[in-house]
Amino acid sequence: MKARLFLLQAAAPVLAIGFGMLISSIIILAIGRNPLEVFGVMVRFSLTRTDSLFSILFKSTPLILAGLAVAMSFRVNLFNIGVEGQYYMGAFAAAFVGFTLRGLPAGIHLPLALLAAMAGGMLWGLVPILLKIRRGAHEVITTIMMNYIASALILYLIADVFRDPAQAGTPRVRTPDVAAAARIPSLAPVFNRLGFTGSDVQKLNALLLIGLALCIVLAYVLARTRFGYEVRAVAANPGAAEAAGIANRRVEFWMFMLSAAIAGLIGLNDILGFFGYLDIDFPKGLGFLGISIALLARNNPLGVILAALLFGFLDRGAQGVQFFARIPKETIVIMQAIIILAIVVAYELMTRYIRMQRKREAEGTPTVSPPAMAPAP
Amino acid sequence: MDGEAFIELHGITKHFPGVTANDQVDLTVRTGEIHAIVGENGAGKSTLMRILYGLYQPDAGTITVKGRPATIDGPRAALAHGIGMVHQHFMLIPVFTVAENVILGNEPTTGIGRLRLREAEAEIAELCRRHGFALDPAAKVEALSVGEQQRVEIIKVLYRGAELLILDEPTAVLVPQEVDELFANLRRLKEQGKTIIFISHKLDEVLEISDRITVLRRGRVVGTVEAAATTKPQLAEMMVGRPVLLELAHPPVSRGEARLEARAVTVATGVGRRRHPVRHVSLSVHAGEIYGIAGVEGNGQTELVEALVGLRPIVTGQLLIEGRDVTQQSARAIRLMGVAHIPEDRHRRGLALPMAVWENMILGHHYRDDFVNGLLVDRPAVDRFVAQRVRDYDIRVADTDAPALALSGGNQQKVIVAREFSFAPRVLVAAQPTRGLDIGATEFVQRQLLAARAGGMAVLLVSAWLEEVLSLADRIGVMYGGELVAEFERGQVSAAELGLYMTGTKRGAGVPA
Repeated sequence: MKARLFLLQAAAPVLAIGFGMLISSIIILAIGRNPLEVFGVMVRFSLTRTDSLFSILFKSTPLILAGLAVAMSFRVNLFNIGVEGQYYMGAFAAAFVGFTLRGLPAGIHLPLALLAAMAGGMLWGLVPILLKIRRGAHEVITTIMMNYIASALILYLIADVFRDPAQAGTPRVRTPDVAAAARIPSLAPVFNRLGFTGSDVQKLNALLLIGLALCIVLAYVLARTRFGYEVRAVAANPGAAEAAGIANRRVEFWMFMLSAAIAGLIGLNDILGFFGYLDIDFPKGLGFLGISIALLARNNPLGVILAALLFGFLDRGAQGVQFFARIPKETIVIMQAIIILAIVVAYELMTRYIRMQRKREAEGTPTVSPPAMAPAP
Repeated sequence: MDGEAFIELHGITKHFPGVTANDQVDLTVRTGEIHAIVGENGAGKSTLMRILYGLYQPDAGTITVKGRPATIDGPRAALAHGIGMVHQHFMLIPVFTVAENVILGNEPTTGIGRLRLREAEAEIAELCRRHGFALDPAAKVEALSVGEQQRVEIIKVLYRGAELLILDEPTAVLVPQEVDELFANLRRLKEQGKTIIFISHKLDEVLEISDRITVLRRGRVVGTVEAAATTKPQLAEMMVGRPVLLELAHPPVSRGEARLEARAVTVATGVGRRRHPVRHVSLSVHAGEIYGIAGVEGNGQTELVEALVGLRPIVTGQLLIEGRDVTQQSARAIRLMGVAHIPEDRHRRGLALPMAVWENMILGHHYRDDFVNGLLVDRPAVDRFVAQRVRDYDIRVADTDAPALALSGGNQQKVIVAREFSFAPRVLVAAQPTRGLDIGATEFVQRQLLAARAGGMAVLLVSAWLEEVLSLADRIGVMYGGELVAEFERGQVSAAELGLYMTGTKRGAGVPA
């Protein structure tokens, strides 16, 4: 039975993806192309080329962190829409530590930069969660506002306060270079030895391993520890958790801080892992993609990994489709959106079905003989 | 009384996924009789009535109204056949008058759409006079007592021309005096030729008011009996399927030291904390006694209980547990001093329904050293504990990994009771511990409370069910309007007398100043 329930739960995302493909097929047909051919190009381009595979992993790295950050707040029924702003602040804090401190060994400088990133995210998360806990201000509103502030502040800091003097006279608006000791090491040496080479292999860095490790550790913490138990109780029924003597607000506070700390790490894939400086055109919107990923993963840390890989795959596939099949990559963006919409519906249906199944099992209630059963009105 | 059949049901069967709510139900209700339908929770009473009122369609079976086959596909169709339902939960708009509520959904208007409120009021006044209902059509509903509001609901159904009234657990919300008034109204309606279906699980009331009684068990009709020819134990046995002990032994236990003391406790809520749902309540619960709190719900019991277990701040006054001042302590600190709590709403405060049964079984004990191994939950230790509890409390669960929402209400309450009785509590605060439970589960929980008392525990029992307080408590306090208005020793007060205090008619007997 347990295996069957697990299969049912896994079926929801598969169905949603299938539905997303179906709708996209209709769109592709509408513009006069063959969907099978397009999907074929997409799969071949994404999965049979070394550069594509490494590009997917590189693109998935920040998505894993973004999805995990959002998921952690969702786990205590808080809607951290501010992952985006927290990620800006974390990215800046890491860059700042990276370009101001000099002469530290990598063993100290890099951890310092990572801590700074988390602290930057947490600082930005602190305002909404304190307002929520002390004054009941809704975190959706406050985090959105904090996003705007972060966006404006970071442009000011990059463009006016910490602009790299070496770039004066050029149109490039960016911070000075981060010290080599604060850069996240590339995984290329390992893969080169295995025979993989190329610029996309070069980009892939150790932040991916940090993201994967965080997912695994947090999955374990939530499932097996006392803290995880309290988190689940607070989420499942705050009233009962309170009556049981659990300090709900403390649990909510720390889960939100955890969310914000992870959010702070999102930008490091590009800043400490690839560019080595914070550019005014650094990637934006990753925090919002995190919401979709958390939703697809059902806030499960291990599911976040799969969902982020799927998004990385679709993103890469969209490029291939645009280039080789001459289909606008927006088609794939539409597919992503349909998958998200479908997943919400599919999960709801699955949950209802599973609840019904469980009700029958739990007390060993004999099932009514199916032939006599007429459809419910 | 031996009128013709108003309604005949034949072979009514209704399936829901996983259960057969009604299985080949035959029922005949005669014109002009009061026909009670009794059965435990889940016996299929509500489903059957919903079929009769057109809210559900039966999967099989026929309905005959006054000798003619009928299809009832909605409340409108039911009313067209003269069938009306008085719901357990009132559906009234507080700021409207009685008349405005009665005509709602059926408003009489003039040609240009003007509401004929005056005419409606006159008509309603005439209805009340004819049926002996004391009710002012122009009164605002929010100013009415619960009993009066129920009368509005009944008038609503009569106004729509119902000949047969279905009353779903009508006495659940009433104090004894209001029950007497309701019964007087029902008898008058019967004299006027109306037919009444009365749904209840309170056997005393059923025996008092009805002419015939149909007993349902697990969706089937066990039998239909003349009320005059049956007894309470017989009915109980028909309902449960085995003999039931209706009276629990209440042997004397020597009263020990005070374990839980409230001294002039006041609780504040609302904007600016200006509302005081509990005012200056003083009481003490001793080792080896059950202190019962009676009262109509909403008179501060909920807030008092939450204050006593640390879930609500006490603004003035003191709370002492075993002599120690815990007024400012957290819920966890009070728990750790040995105060167990059976919350009044098991779904809101008692269980985390989506979580596994085993997880719910340790909720509130989960931080004990017994259950943690470093930072981790010690599954083997928890599993041993849970298995033991499941055995001792006869909790019917196939798999303790299943979520708590999969259990029946009785089994859910058993999980809470088993959990709260663990680790030798010194004080037990039990709020509505048998609410919504069937006879078997009720008996089980009440036995546990008496066993706890015999074992020297101090038990505070809050219950809206007066008979429960009267049969279990050593002392009884009555709450009205947030205050403890009276206190009695066991045996010194009758249900009727308590009813007067519960409605605020009388106050101030034996209350510590």
